[in-house]
Amino acid sequence: MSADLNPNTAINLTKAVVLVVETTSHAADILSQILKGFGVAETHRITSIREASELLKHKAFDLILIDPDVEDGAGYTMVRNLRASMVEPNCFAPVILMSGHPRVTRVKQARDTGANFFVSKPIAPNVLLQRILWVARDKRPFVEAGVYIGPDRRFKFEGLPPDSDGRRSTDIKDPLGAANGPDMSQDDIDNLMKPQRVMI
Amino acid sequence: MSVVRRFRPENRLAKLLEMPGGVSIGSALNNASIALESIRESCMQALDQKLVVLANMASRPANAGRDEAMYLLANEIFNESGSFNLSELSAAAYSLCTLLDLEDRNGTRAATIRVHIDSMRALRHPDMAGDQAARTAVLDGLRNLTARHIETLLTDEPST
Repeated sequence: MSADLNPNTAINLTKAVVLVVETTSHAADILSQILKGFGVAETHRITSIREASELLKHKAFDLILIDPDVEDGAGYTMVRNLRASMVEPNCFAPVILMSGHPRVTRVKQARDTGANFFVSKPIAPNVLLQRILWVARDKRPFVEAGVYIGPDRRFKFEGLPPDSDGRRSTDIKDPLGAANGPDMSQDDIDNLMKPQRVMI
Repeated sequence: MSVVRRFRPENRLAKLLEMPGGVSIGSALNNASIALESIRESCMQALDQKLVVLANMASRPANAGRDEAMYLLANEIFNESGSFNLSELSAAAYSLCTLLDLEDRNGTRAATIRVHIDSMRALRHPDMAGDQAARTAVLDGLRNLTARHIETLLTDEPST
């Protein structure tokens, strides 16, 4: 079991409403059974993009699990349209893409749909639960930039791109320059972080 | 340059998860395995049916449409067998997907596809169910075959 999945931690998915969009009814059955085991009481199983899009207009979902290869890749477009619709709350619902054999041409497409996470099939209960907990705890903000709407695609900040001044107000535009003065000793550094008793 | 807007929508899933009640993660995983087992029989029947359809498709002349249909079916077998821990069948189906995703339709490709489907059907035979060594041997053979095929493609002179 993964370190993220402490067997004693309680989870409550009894009130969660989940949409499953799958390529076949058997694949939908597999996911529905796993979700049932997790305690999800309301799962909607769909194998058609048209039906899924229609349902998303009328019913609020807390989680959307979709195989983007449904109807020859129409699942990617469905997620992108969902984000762009700005119809709340579904346009902000966590979306997990679950795809089987990876076609090289589809990798970038997956990244740009606005989904929260991409999971490779075959689906195992522990992997699915880990990803559900991950998207629930995901702290990334949503970004609306041109044609892209969805969670920030950057998982960590690795500095500005080369030869760029950055666009954020917090980006440091001036070079830091060379250090001046002597280096701090290890004791000086330790003292910066050492808890000290304060007398009031 | 487009205007970038950053915001934090409400995460309803996070709030639901934290509500009192529910089950422990250990129980949730155990319940999911039990629920999955309850549909194993029907899924196995569907898998066997898909293998028959795949074999029928392979007997037709190769073209882009046939290969796409076979790819989709092999992908379904890969996904569904893997969820029931039929790891060798799942790996064989994955290998077939890789082969079908290649554009080259010449050389030994047709025979390699045929071997994959025969192997996948053999892996579903009851005699194979309890014979891990035999299943591993089948998979090793497929890996060698596919690696040789892909290597041939990679070492081909680029067309000018």
